[in-house]
Amino acid sequence: MPQPGFFVLHSSAVPPLEAGDYTLTGNQTLTGGATQPYEGHVRVTSPRFRMPPDQILSTYPPANAEGSFETRLPQVVLKRRTLPWERVSDAANRAVPWLALVVIAEGEGQISGETPVKDCVTPGVTLNGPNDVATGFYLSVSETVVNKVFPTHDDLALLTHVREVDLSDTELAMGDDDGFLAIVMANRLPQYDRINCVPVRYMACLINLEGQLDALPKPLEFTFTFDAMAYVQDVRTFAAAANTSADKYVMGSGLNVALSPGAPNPQVVGPIHPKASQAGAPATFAAPAVTPPIAERAPVSASWSTTQTKVANIAASSAPAEAGRLVRDAMTAGFRFPVDKIVLEKVYRFPVLAHWSFTCTGAGSFETLLQGLDVGLLGTLPADPATQPKPDCAPPPKGDAPPPTDPPRPAAEVTDTGHVGLHHLTRRGDSLRAWYRGPLTLHVTERSQPDADGHLPLANVSDQLRRVTPDGREDLSLAGAFEIGRLLALSQPSVVSALMRWRQEQFGAERARQLAAKTLEKLSALKPDPAASIHDLGQLVGKQVVLMAAQSPEKMLAVNRPLVDPGRPLEYLTSGMEQIIADGFGFSLPAVQRGAGSVGITAALSQASVPKSDSVGFDSNAAAQLKDALSSAVEMVTAGAVQRTPPTGGGLRAAERTEAGEERDALDDLLDQAAEKQQRGKERK
Amino acid sequence: MNSAFFTSQVVFSAVKAAVTQIVVTPSDNDPDMGDRIVPLDLRQWLARLRLLDSVPFAYLTPDSLLLPPESIRFFYVDRNWTDALIQGALSVGTVNSSDRAQLEQLHGQIRDEIDQEERVVREPGGEAVQKGPAGTITGFLLRSRAVSGWPGMHVRAYRKELGKDNEIIPESSPDRIKVLRMERLSPAVMLVLFDGVPVVVHVEEPRCGVQFGIRLETSGAANQFNAFVIARDANTSDDVPPSPPGTHVPVTFRSGSPGVLDLKRTAQSLINTPGTHIGPNLDGAEFALEMIRYPYRQVFGDPSQGGVGNIRDVFRVSISMTQLKAKFLKTI
Repeated sequence: MPQPGFFVLHSSAVPPLEAGDYTLTGNQTLTGGATQPYEGHVRVTSPRFRMPPDQILSTYPPANAEGSFETRLPQVVLKRRTLPWERVSDAANRAVPWLALVVIAEGEGQISGETPVKDCVTPGVTLNGPNDVATGFYLSVSETVVNKVFPTHDDLALLTHVREVDLSDTELAMGDDDGFLAIVMANRLPQYDRINCVPVRYMACLINLEGQLDALPKPLEFTFTFDAMAYVQDVRTFAAAANTSADKYVMGSGLNVALSPGAPNPQVVGPIHPKASQAGAPATFAAPAVTPPIAERAPVSASWSTTQTKVANIAASSAPAEAGRLVRDAMTAGFRFPVDKIVLEKVYRFPVLAHWSFTCTGAGSFETLLQGLDVGLLGTLPADPATQPKPDCAPPPKGDAPPPTDPPRPAAEVTDTGHVGLHHLTRRGDSLRAWYRGPLTLHVTERSQPDADGHLPLANVSDQLRRVTPDGREDLSLAGAFEIGRLLALSQPSVVSALMRWRQEQFGAERARQLAAKTLEKLSALKPDPAASIHDLGQLVGKQVVLMAAQSPEKMLAVNRPLVDPGRPLEYLTSGMEQIIADGFGFSLPAVQRGAGSVGITAALSQASVPKSDSVGFDSNAAAQLKDALSSAVEMVTAGAVQRTPPTGGGLRAAERTEAGEERDALDDLLDQAAEKQQRGKERK
Repeated sequence: MNSAFFTSQVVFSAVKAAVTQIVVTPSDNDPDMGDRIVPLDLRQWLARLRLLDSVPFAYLTPDSLLLPPESIRFFYVDRNWTDALIQGALSVGTVNSSDRAQLEQLHGQIRDEIDQEERVVREPGGEAVQKGPAGTITGFLLRSRAVSGWPGMHVRAYRKELGKDNEIIPESSPDRIKVLRMERLSPAVMLVLFDGVPVVVHVEEPRCGVQFGIRLETSGAANQFNAFVIARDANTSDDVPPSPPGTHVPVTFRSGSPGVLDLKRTAQSLINTPGTHIGPNLDGAEFALEMIRYPYRQVFGDPSQGGVGNIRDVFRVSISMTQLKAKFLKTI
């Protein structure tokens, strides 16, 4: 698979089997004798008279297109790569495709309507094998056209190739499924009609060459330079005449067909049908070789796209079911005359698998058009106002009166600044000349900027923007801009209403805001309601006061009580840790500190004398008092708990609680002792 | 309650806060652009108007000679003109003088908002929105049959000459200039506006897949044409340098049939051209390779800046502002 943006070209993709019916036979010989021979039937299908629409990926020029296609070869891109080789046209060389793309101009051939397929080929030719459809189209052309336009036998292989593309490259792949496309090119460059200065409609037909390869021209004379004014064959005029009256042929005057302006010249190269030519002197239909004078010529624009727009309109307006038929019908409008009734020579029929029309509307190409452009800044005037771009057609024949030129007009008055002098009819009716310069200038202009206060000037009426130039004439550029802007806004009711709504809603809001701001500047007095029109202002003010109070209550209401009160100060702890330690042990802190200076703190501490008592006296009386005081205190504490225990056996005793998994603690012991004490006291009583 | 605190200052700020609540701030919130005064629909319409949408063509080119057939004219857009256009549009519906006064106050901001909206009018997919203050708008008017014949033309503008032909630069790149507007005003007239001053402008044929064709040249006599192709190497697909220079492979035609190629001789000429590396027989793929024509690209620019072509006076002022000033002063 090639990279995106790249593609590979192959000269052909020939399938091993050509389209048709096949029979498979099989024989098997066993020891017991031969078996019944096998016979299977296979059909290889391929389009023959009608191309399925999904097989055509693109065409160039696009169907129904207009443009200067003079340097590009028409082509069709097919989806299945083997399509051009699925049938056999030249049994000796399978690389020769059976498809060819031929391009015929109006008047060179006939596209039929729906015809049974057996009539779609030149009489005498039969196509064997199964057909894909019952009816098809055919292209009917004279031998002259075939010889002049159709590719030769050798050309066919050159005009067909296979392109391998990357599927992800949408521009190249065009919706293909396997990345291989078959391309069939035409061998003819579309031409613009240089004699009559009219666009030429072409029909590109993808034709089937099966069985008719011999009809193709043999290698012919060649030239390096072609005459763009030469005709291939045009039988339209005769076709039109044939439709009018048979009498005119008989009487010999019939072919002096009056040319309508812009109609093509009849220049028939091939011999004409005896019925049409027998009575008329040959000079009669060697055609009025006079080109209509330029003045009578229809302008190119008038002849543009009549058929194209018709086709487009039909495509847009007709019912979906009928659209295909109607569009095809409109498209082949110029290809509907019976060729075989007009020309004398042999007429060939080729089945048409697909066809589309396009119009060559001018000479040259995109390249020549753009290179021929007159380039400049706006305000550059053409060198000579009378110079018209060169027409794409032949110069008017000599002897004719020169074409009337436009009356000379005064040169445009353009200044170096890009201002154009224009006629100006003032309101008072004076006819003056004024300067005008549109939005497109040839200089960078300085845009007006807001002043120091940020204020940007705004014009209220267009007259404010009128300027007087040094030469005394008015410059109406900006005034004109203002006025057209105003009119454009007024021309659209939706814009007017949007402007009004914007002004009412948001300009009103802006006004109220500015009014309030102005009033509030002097609010210190606050005597009247600042905005009486605002009905719920009081409520809002109240809400704002509450909100502000909530934001800073210490200022609005009172100082809050702290969450935690500080404890009372411990005076003995104020003296510092060292002093406390020294006091506790009873040594002198200054002495230790002094010693630390000379011998170190550890040594100083060890030297410091700590007062100690040698005999520990124990006052037993005092101890007994303390013990009594303690037991009485315990009694007081436990009294309540013991009283609450039921007198007999109720409640959980310590032993039961132990069973219940709870540990005894000191309180349990105290309670037990107190209970026993009580019990003893009761017994004593 | 700390009654002493209820000063006029508190009441003042309370009332002020209340008023700002009750009065809707004139804004139109835009997810992309933030707060805006001008409502979205109006802003878009004004921005389109700023890009000269629906302005009659006679206001753009007051004289038909300014844009003759088959011409291209480059220009700068006069911001003062477009501002005056917007002022005219805004003047609609200002009923009384207080409306006018308010409009005048808001005018600067309205102008800035439309400046920014200009770049959003044409938003190609996948491109970042470009912001920043509005700059110079330039553009061109093209009146040609190329416009009517090739409707899908590509136009690109660059701040510098490109290095490679097939380089693809997104529109938001600093080297490339955004196209603000590209429109066919009539079948054959196209208007393009750029968001800056380009150095080179490319106008390219619409891409319709791969095309095949030849190059035509007049042979000297009227309506007599020669054709040639530039040979390519069948192995590398590169162009074969012509030897001697200036000669190309001639394309032959069938005698008497205008435009019908004589492939046999053309093929022989291609085979005979050294450097194409085509064997004794030309096949379909090789013929297709020689015939491929790429979309044509016309480059407009200043030739002295390394551009292509012999175009003079493009993007160049023909008279300097100082000269002009002197001229005016002399007149006065």
